[in-house]
Amino acid sequence: MDEQGGAACSPPSLIYFAHHRGRGAEPVPVNRYKHVVSLLAFVAPAFIIYSLFLLIPTIGGMYYSFTDWNGLNRDYSFIGLGNFVEALREDPDFVNSLLFTLKYVLFMIVLQNVFALVLAVFIETKTRTKGFFRTIFFMPNMISTIISAFMWTFVFSQVLPQLAEKTAISFLDQLWIGDPKVSFYSIIIVSLWNGVGYMMIIYLAALQGVPQSLKEAAVIDGASPFQTFRKVTLPMITHAVTICLFLTLNGAFKVFEVVYGLTGGGPGRSTQVITMNIYEEAFSNNFRYGYASAKSVILFIFILLFTFIQIGVMKRKEVEA
Amino acid sequence: MNKMTKGVLCTMLTATMLAGCSSNNTNNTGAANDAGTGSSVAKSVTLKMFIAQPRFKEQYDNYIAQFVKKEKAEKNIDVTVQLEMPTADNASQILKTRLASNDAPDIFALHAVNEIPSYYKAGYLEDLSGQPFVSKLLDSVKPSVTTTDGKVVALPLETLSWGYLYNKTIFAKYGLTPPTTLTELKAVTEKLKANNETPFVLSYKESWIPQLVLPLAVGGMMKTEDAEFVDKMNKDEGSFTEMKSAIFDVFDLINENGTAKATEVGGDDGAAAFAAGQGAMWLMGPWYAETILKSNPDLDFGVAPLPINDNADATLINLSASTSLAVSPTSKNKEVALDFLNYVLDDTDSNALFQAMKFNPVATVHTYEMYPWIAEATSYVKAGKSVQDPAIPQSVKDEVGKGLQAYYAGQMTQDDVLKALDKAWKSYNKVNK
Repeated sequence: MDEQGGAACSPPSLIYFAHHRGRGAEPVPVNRYKHVVSLLAFVAPAFIIYSLFLLIPTIGGMYYSFTDWNGLNRDYSFIGLGNFVEALREDPDFVNSLLFTLKYVLFMIVLQNVFALVLAVFIETKTRTKGFFRTIFFMPNMISTIISAFMWTFVFSQVLPQLAEKTAISFLDQLWIGDPKVSFYSIIIVSLWNGVGYMMIIYLAALQGVPQSLKEAAVIDGASPFQTFRKVTLPMITHAVTICLFLTLNGAFKVFEVVYGLTGGGPGRSTQVITMNIYEEAFSNNFRYGYASAKSVILFIFILLFTFIQIGVMKRKEVEA
Repeated sequence: MNKMTKGVLCTMLTATMLAGCSSNNTNNTGAANDAGTGSSVAKSVTLKMFIAQPRFKEQYDNYIAQFVKKEKAEKNIDVTVQLEMPTADNASQILKTRLASNDAPDIFALHAVNEIPSYYKAGYLEDLSGQPFVSKLLDSVKPSVTTTDGKVVALPLETLSWGYLYNKTIFAKYGLTPPTTLTELKAVTEKLKANNETPFVLSYKESWIPQLVLPLAVGGMMKTEDAEFVDKMNKDEGSFTEMKSAIFDVFDLINENGTAKATEVGGDDGAAAFAAGQGAMWLMGPWYAETILKSNPDLDFGVAPLPINDNADATLINLSASTSLAVSPTSKNKEVALDFLNYVLDDTDSNALFQAMKFNPVATVHTYEMYPWIAEATSYVKAGKSVQDPAIPQSVKDEVGKGLQAYYAGQMTQDDVLKALDKAWKSYNKVNK
């Protein structure tokens, strides 16, 4: 309702504003004031909800990261940067989970985008079956991540060993999720299966926006299909690459459900990702909420830094048609 | 301009509605509390309960209805019970939030061994030592709800007596009896292997399952050689190296003679494997009885204590309590809340409740017939072959689960695991000073 009101409302006020501006210098401050008020009025409902449920808890979490609160006691003390120092210096599990997450992020960024782009390019060349393939590849994305993780647990621990028995492909019969060396790749497989579809849709949309005339001009100039793709299509879809890299980077850092559903971080802590380490600290170990909040802040800073760098680099490469 | 005013009004309306919601809430609670304070004189009381066992809703509802009737008849108090039953997964989060925000339910359920120490320390548990039900509790149950300074602070509902499960049919077939020492256990496994039976079902996907060996080992050692272990650990003076052979001798034996792919088998799959006779023994408590019988209703299995060394006195059944009821010290209807607690162990009505929920007997008033495996475990308890679940902090139990998983997967050595445990206990001491 608010949005409707906004759409119907702001143009007249803008007209009013523009109309009155011409009359002279005197009424302008009043109008500008009114303009600001109307802007605030329309932003307010969303902003109140946003700050109530996201902004205030976030700031609260940052505050707790400087305390030793355990989530239960009524009193706690302020310990400055103690939590941060402990997390980075004296907590090998946290550092290991951080490294494991970085490895995961690296694999995901490269593989997810390469697969999505390749799929998008192939689907784009089909004219008749485009809709069908698009739906098929997007389908896994509609299943919730945790459910797909449980499905794949069944596939890895029951279906593949059975297949191996029937077909005598001994490669299939191994500890897919029980062996720490293999389970990393199992996690990647499931994440890709789940996430590629979404990125593919974004790339498809971008590919459709590449002007046909440019490609034709390239072909007339004698460019091979690969050259056309490399020199014309790819630069034209850089904005989509930026978005997809951003989404993948962000999502991969925050990965939780897939690992939780498949291995539970195990055996031991060999596949524990950073979010899981935080969860364990806050809700199952010693209930150190303050310490866990500090770890979340570290994660937040990491994501912020990486995203800024990524966006900064990518923005410079974008071109306009 | 007119439309802009509308927009502003809309916003204000939304804001008022939100504000309205919150003020309504306060009014409600206020009214309930007012009714509560006047309770003992007047007649209506609202009792808030928080029990995280939605699967027993019907049984609790019935029992509460009986209680309401009784309270009306005996004390002329109209009791309205608000029973809240969240799922067990997030119950302790909800409860903690409630307690921390001064909105404690009058009666709430918590885990006896894991949660009583920290809740008691934070001052959220009423001292119940003087209540009539305390004298009815069995001696084997009472210690699990008693604090270190000797106060009974909760009423145990679910209790456990466990060691490992064994398949009686397979044992009978080869003329075996549950072993009492580690050497005998070795002999049993050899004999089973010689007859092409896998001695143990392994299910280490969930870290709490390998963890089970720790309470058994520590319990056995504390009753025989190392009585002060937990105290020493709490004072940062002990080390898990004292427990090295108790934990790993038997754990290694189990692992060497177990089913394959243990790190991919969870609790339910393990239950199915045990029910199908894929292994003769399973390191697990009788709480999986229902799941086992679901996949094989005819399975004849028993509970026996796990040997950890060659001292037969250290082969003991572990006794502990999980779900227990406590009363909040800030409750405004404490009298009625205590009445309810005492009614849970009522001389006549309690039997039906505990039997309906398939809980073990916890008090002298419980006379119903037990499941055969419970009876078997109880017979060990009666013979004095039992030990109270040692008060190992939950964070250490989590750590040992992860450590033993990694040990099984070959990523950690015995010393690594023990070192990690010492560290976990130290940090527990540091946090809970």
